[in-house]
Formats: sequence, C-alpha cells, structure tokens
Amino acid sequence: MPKDDLKKLYDVLELPPDAPLRDVHNSHLRLKKLYSGESIVLEPLGEEFTDKKKKKILEQIEEAYAKILASRAPEASRTEPLFSAEAAEEKLSEPEDPAAVVYSGPRLRKARDAKNVSLNELSKELKLRLELLNNLEAERFETLPEAIYLRAQLRTYAAFLGLPPVKVADDYLRRYNAWKEKTSPPPPEGASRRHRS
Amino acid sequence: MAPKSKVKEGEIWAIGGGKGGTGKTFITSSAGTYLARKGRQVVLVDMDIGGANLHTFFGISRPQKSLTSFFEMGASLGDLVVPTEMPNMSLITGDIHSMASDKITFSQKLKLFRQIMKLNAQTVLVDLGAGSHNNTLDTFLIADKMIVVLVPEVIAIENMYHFIKNSLFRKVKMTLKEYGFKEIVQHIWDRRQSYGIVNLKELIDYLRESFSYIGTILDHELSSFQIHLVLNMVRNNQDVQLGASIKSVMMKYLGIPIHYSGYVEYSDAVWKSVRERKPFMLNYLATGCAKEIEILTENLIKSADIDIPGVA
Repeated sequence: MPKDDLKKLYDVLELPPDAPLRDVHNSHLRLKKLYSGESIVLEPLGEEFTDKKKKKILEQIEEAYAKILASRAPEASRTEPLFSAEAAEEKLSEPEDPAAVVYSGPRLRKARDAKNVSLNELSKELKLRLELLNNLEAERFETLPEAIYLRAQLRTYAAFLGLPPVKVADDYLRRYNAWKEKTSPPPPEGASRRHRS
Repeated sequence: MAPKSKVKEGEIWAIGGGKGGTGKTFITSSAGTYLARKGRQVVLVDMDIGGANLHTFFGISRPQKSLTSFFEMGASLGDLVVPTEMPNMSLITGDIHSMASDKITFSQKLKLFRQIMKLNAQTVLVDLGAGSHNNTLDTFLIADKMIVVLVPEVIAIENMYHFIKNSLFRKVKMTLKEYGFKEIVQHIWDRRQSYGIVNLKELIDYLRESFSYIGTILDHELSSFQIHLVLNMVRNNQDVQLGASIKSVMMKYLGIPIHYSGYVEYSDAVWKSVRERKPFMLNYLATGCAKEIEILTENLIKSADIDIPGVA
C-alpha cells in the first residue's frame, strides 16, 4: 500500500503511522464506542450530528482498522492486545462479573443498598431529583424522561456507584424500550429523536 | 474588534468554557501560580462580570482597586494591577460591583482590549467566567491561547459546545466583516434550511466552496482558531479519556483542532478550599494536584496534547 494511503488510514484512527499495535486496538475500540452513540460527548449534539454521519464514520473506522491490521499481519498475530480502554471502563466495577448481571431498576437499588448509599445522598450528590431516582429504581417508566436524557442520568447514577455506566444504561434502556413498545404505537417515520412525547 | 497588533511580547491566555462552576478560576489561578513559580511575569485579570472572585483566591477580601474603576471612572488598566503575595504574580480584580455585561460600551471594550494587550507581563491570564455573551466571546477571541475548562458532565459538555460554536460563528462573522462581506454569514445562516445547512461546519464549508476568495480568507484567518481543553474534577480513567473523545468530535463537528492539554483529578482538598474561599494557591502543592497542573500548563505553553495511556 502507498505510504499516503496508509497514513490516511491511521488518520482515521487518530494515530501516527508508527503507532504501536496496542494503540491501534485501543483507538479502534475507543472510537467505535464514541461513534456508536455510547458517549456523553455526542449526546448534546443531538440532530446536529446525524445518525447517518455516525454510521459513515463507523464504517471508515472499521475499514481503516481492518486494513491496518492486514498491513501488519505478522505482528498482529503474535501480539496480545492490551485493551486498556476496556480496562479503564471496568476500573470501578464490582467484583462480580458485570457481564452476567442485568441492571434492572431493582438490581440498581440492590447495588445502591450494598454500597450503603441512601436515595437522599444520591440525589444530593448527583443533583437529580429524589422522585426521579425513586421512580427509576421502581421502574415506573411512565414517569421517566425520554431515553436520551435518561441515558445520561443512568450513566451518572452508575458511575457514582462504581457500576459499568454503558452496560447499566444499555440494560436499563432495553427494559424501558420494551415497555415503551408495548404501550405506545411506533412513532411516525422521520420523527425527531429529541421530540418529547 | 480590537487590532491584533501587539506592543508587548506578552501572551494572553483566556479561560472560558460556558458553564459556571467548572473551575475556571481555579485553573486560572493554578496555571498562573505555576507560571509565576517558573519565573514568568504573570498578571491575572478577572473578567468574570457579575461573579468576580479571583481576588478571594489570594486572600484579598476587600480589594482597593478593581475593574469597576476602569468602567466607571476611566482608570487605566495598568493602574489597577495589584501585587499578590506570590512573587512574579499580580492581579486585576474584577468588577465586584456586578455591572451587567451588556452595559459595557463598544469603545470601552476596545479600550479594555488595547490595554490588556499592553499590560506589562509575559503572560496575561484572563478568567472569563461563565456564559457566552458577546463581550465574553470577543475577549476569548483576542487571546493567543483560547482555553476552555470542562467537567465530565453532559450539561457542561453541552454548554462548552455552545460556547465554542458561538465563538467560531462570531470569529467567522467578524473576519468576513473586516473583509467587506458584512452580513453574508448571518444572512445564509438565517436561511440555512433553504441552503440545506444543518450546522456551523456546513455553513463554513458552503462559504468556502461557493466563494473561493472567502475560502482563502477563512483558511488564513481560522488557522489560528485552536482550542485548548482542560478537564477538571475527573474521577476515573473514563473521565480522562473524554478529552480525547471531545477532540475527535470537535474536528468532525466543527472542523477545528482541539488540544487536550490536561486534566485535574477531583479532590476534596481543592473542593473545600474553593468553597471556603481559602487562599490555598500559595501552598497548592499540598493539594496533590501540583503535578497535574504542571503537566497541563506545560502543554498550554507548548500547545501540546497530554499523553494518555491507551489514547494516542
């Protein structure tokens, strides 16, 4: 592959062309998470950063990653990647295998109780309303805000208790969305994501 | 806008970021303290209109001189500089009488900028306070280093985007105005739907593509538009990595480079000192964040990025 083409691939992963393989893995993972909409960094941009754009970026990232790995195949096969980005995320998680847990409202309450944190303290620390936290744990979905806001709140909640924020938000929102699908007709085509019901 | 020409060799660093309570004053005074300890002549200017409190970080509770005299009595800025207990570091206290930002006249603003540029210092650090008022944005834009302070929270990130976006929009508008394209930016932005433009980057791209002359101007004038990001009150590695994510997103969203200068870990000691308005800066080494301040300030000097394991 010509040098310039290769440099462009590294640019996509936001790396210099001499980056160690470990950085290639880490950057790929980090950017993939970021543009999958998992990050609070993209959330505030809403519709200004369209899903179409995210999808395109994700495709570029995957393409660059695959091509870079192919170009370094001998090295890639003998080096065990150190997923430090993954490790960072799990740094504050519980000793039990977090992948095996489904973070429902009651499960979150249990985790909070185990840490001996009262709802009152949590409310003060996170600057979230007591009522909201209570409803969140009790899964009174009808009282909760739209998913886009809820995700941020869940992540704040999880981070404070040392739970994996992305997984907590994903698990909880899966339940929330299942409830939503059951109770309301599907939104019309092209409805704004920010639209409040 | 004020002319960019400088009389002195000193550099202006402006510290803003949109949201209140992110620690702009803390970062300003810490970075200033580090520079002064390094032997640079430093003047801190408190431009937090309505919320001036930089002086309290230095144990001055009733300042004798403040920006109020500049605005109300026409005092010269140089006469308002007071020394602090810290060698090499002096201070201009903010307008402690809470004059509304929009009461500042255009000519006062120009005079203020001229005099800030003439201050006798190697580094002038300007604490901008919260908000995205035009006066705040203009002060941000005259700086040699535009620094934003952020905490890892959605609202703070949102406010920061707003602040940077407005700064860029104003910069583009002012630049093109200087070149005689007075209302073109606002005109197109107001009709952006009919142009199929959804954000500022697309507007800039549109201007570049449609008018090659404007493209040349923007290439030239926007090359200096670089933001330095400082993350404050981080609690874990994930928070630390937010800086890298913001860098990535800002390049794709606005097309502007961000330097992730560094971060300061959350610490009860700092939080307490700030809350109690303790003049802790003179012994900030004791708060445990001295190393982080050193790294981020050195990166600010060099316009470099922090080296984070796992992030290139």
